[in-house]
Amino acid sequence: MEYILTILVMISIFVILSASYNLVIGYGGLATVAHPIFYALGAYTTGLLSVHTDLWPPLCLLAGGLVAVVASVLLAASALRVSGDYLLIASLGFQLGLLQVIRNFEFTGGPGGLSGIPGTITGAARTPAYLLICGGLAVLTVAFVAWIVRGPYGRAITAMRDEELAFSTLGRNAMSMKIAIFAIGCGIAGISGGLYAYYFQYVSPEQFDVLQSAALLTMVVLGGMGTSMGPVVGAAILLAVPQAITFLELPPNIMAPMQGIIFTTLVLAFMFLRPAGLVGGAGRGKLPAALAGHGTEAP
Amino acid sequence: MTDPIVLLQILWTGTVTAASLVLLTVAFSLTQKVTGLWNFAQAGFMGVAFYTMLFVLNDLALPLWVALAAGAALTAGIAVFTEAFGLDTLRARRSGNLTFFIFTLISAELIIYVLTLLFGTEPQTLFPSIMSPIHIVGGVAISDWDLTAVGITVVMLTLLSLFLNRTKEGQFLVAVADNAKLAELYGISAQRAYRVTAIIAAIFITAAMYLVGARAGVTPNSPMELILSAVIGTLLGGMGRVFMGGLATVILALLQSYSVLVIASRWQNLLLYGFLFITILLFPRGMHLPRLRTRRAPAPEPSV
Amino acid sequence: MTEILRVEAMYKRFGGIVVADNIHLTIAAGEILGLIGPNGAGKTSLFNLISGVVRPDAGRIYLQGTPIDGQPLYRRARTGIARTWQNMLLFTTMSVLENLLIAPRAYPGESIFRLLLAPAGVRAAEEEARTRAMQILARMDLTSAANAMVTDLPFGHQKLIGLARTLMNDGALLLLDEPMAGVEGAAYETMQRVVREEAASGRAVCVVEHNVSFIKDLCTTAIFMANGKILESGSVEKLLGSKVLTDLYFGT
Repeated sequence: MEYILTILVMISIFVILSASYNLVIGYGGLATVAHPIFYALGAYTTGLLSVHTDLWPPLCLLAGGLVAVVASVLLAASALRVSGDYLLIASLGFQLGLLQVIRNFEFTGGPGGLSGIPGTITGAARTPAYLLICGGLAVLTVAFVAWIVRGPYGRAITAMRDEELAFSTLGRNAMSMKIAIFAIGCGIAGISGGLYAYYFQYVSPEQFDVLQSAALLTMVVLGGMGTSMGPVVGAAILLAVPQAITFLELPPNIMAPMQGIIFTTLVLAFMFLRPAGLVGGAGRGKLPAALAGHGTEAP
Repeated sequence: MTDPIVLLQILWTGTVTAASLVLLTVAFSLTQKVTGLWNFAQAGFMGVAFYTMLFVLNDLALPLWVALAAGAALTAGIAVFTEAFGLDTLRARRSGNLTFFIFTLISAELIIYVLTLLFGTEPQTLFPSIMSPIHIVGGVAISDWDLTAVGITVVMLTLLSLFLNRTKEGQFLVAVADNAKLAELYGISAQRAYRVTAIIAAIFITAAMYLVGARAGVTPNSPMELILSAVIGTLLGGMGRVFMGGLATVILALLQSYSVLVIASRWQNLLLYGFLFITILLFPRGMHLPRLRTRRAPAPEPSV
Repeated sequence: MTEILRVEAMYKRFGGIVVADNIHLTIAAGEILGLIGPNGAGKTSLFNLISGVVRPDAGRIYLQGTPIDGQPLYRRARTGIARTWQNMLLFTTMSVLENLLIAPRAYPGESIFRLLLAPAGVRAAEEEARTRAMQILARMDLTSAANAMVTDLPFGHQKLIGLARTLMNDGALLLLDEPMAGVEGAAYETMQRVVREEAASGRAVCVVEHNVSFIKDLCTTAIFMANGKILESGSVEKLLGSKVLTDLYFGT
């Protein structure tokens, strides 16, 4: 029972992550793979604050989100000056570089990670309580993203993706809209990182590496980019499938790469056969807007 | 006061270490130049090259030249396969950059996972011993292996330069790199150019992995770090400037090597990333003034 | 007559081609200026320079007396410049109405802060935009198309929607890039009528067109461009009566 509840907590955290990632790449059309680093920034900020200070936990969470927002704005503002495509490389470099810094500082626990993060809720009701919090926030995130993309804001995002030049000529500032979407998505990821830190009480650099980027991509591509339930489906699959495989009782040195092979093959298969993902509408060949080439990009 | 001999030694050793990275940067940069793509699948190709050579040398106990040939052939095969069945499909669908990136990254990951399954995660070298005879020239230690590495690199770069500048096929590559649509109007096949580039890149990658794998332990995850050097070199050299990318890689390697005089060695790697940040923020178009930018989605042409 | 647009000594070169060579022009309120000339003359480039898509190498632009050279592309619409495009650039995954709703100058709903903190204001602005959009569609007899996808409309109607989109920005200057190309019949009549109405209400209009009868019917003044230079300007009769120009334009 405890085991299943823990899985559900993980799924909730991953739903928050993938929903916020979906906002950035699925709706915003911003090519980036560094989402895990903002997850990391939130996790480490929250972790360090709760280890070294007595700050009230929800404030630590918010601080994590804030750090993620500031970092994402700096990154996006510099990279988007060049072009939208440049954000991809810049974010990758940012992710790997920051991870290297984290690995080399004793302050952050070095490669061994940061442990001993105080548990804020203790006792037998711990996991159910966390499930309530994380699950609640997951629902909130999905609802929030769905709300943003309806109405005038969603209209503006779609127009920006459709024809950025026309969008800009109509008087909209495409750059600030992209930065705003990026910041919101990354801020939410930061908060989910804080949740992760509090629940597992341990964070280490490996959890935020390129592998995580691939996992997030898998969730969003499989579920369906640019849909509201896609990330939920993707998160559930990504976490449930390995659990199912564990029952096959393969030796660990086979299981880890095996999982990796299954996921990467799934992503590739979906990408070519059903790019709209499981939740997305049309079948073969119809690309969700985020995966299609842009019409025009304003100079 | 540092001994000038030490400085010279660092200069030599640093340059030699850079040799394999130069080859990788050239492969990556050339691909970026001609296809406009940041082809992260090359990380996977690096793994394929190394482990093929390892398998042929150790498990099949065949001579080195067979290993090299097999490595190059298999890597080129996979590279062209990726081109023909993956990238061409995405191009036909007019996919965006994110899709290409996902495809290349995930393909690299898939290959790495398969290699992990087949070969495990223990570091392995191509040869049981990594020692080679050393000569002292003017106080600087130069090993036979050093000379081989530098020799291979110089020869391959020269051949590439001759190919691009003096042969028709090479000129086609340059034309497609400049403007694929225009080249097609003149009867040059962009698709063919992409595949030729893939083959050239595969050969460079195989040579690079030979140099890397003969001297240090390689794991299935090593290519991810290697490709990062290739990316940084490409960025610093400037997009479209393949040989500048190679030069940038050498300079970077030297800076890293010399930095050991000033900072703790564990921060050396960080220097690389520091350069990446600085490049992205201050020199996104390369450290030298760019001539032409290769962009995938061209800015709207001024229709007069 | 109130001067709306003034362009002074505009110069722009792309590589080896000079697309704008010492261009001077003014457009007054109510004036419909026709820009004619052969392909490659620099007409669309001039639009690009005025609307801010491209930065000039030299020269100044004034909108209602205020210099706008420093303004980035997205600011110029807010200052009052609206333009159409040769290839329309309609938002293809949205409906007709949505294409119009994205076009007014004030758009509180597109700011996350206002969405969260002042939802009432957002709703009000949305209502107002919707009303105006329907009015414009009514003027073009296209009310029934409001909820159709733009890509489902016939070509002539798509061009009308492109025009409608610019009308949602009720700024002072209207730049129309080949609005009539490929349009005939009822849509042609509608477009003529609407453009005339706009000019009559005080806007300055500049039209790039190859369709000579459109120029004759609609424009009050005209400019003939070739190779980035203005060769002739003045009334439409004068330009179309000039033998030099008709030879250059229609060739022999």
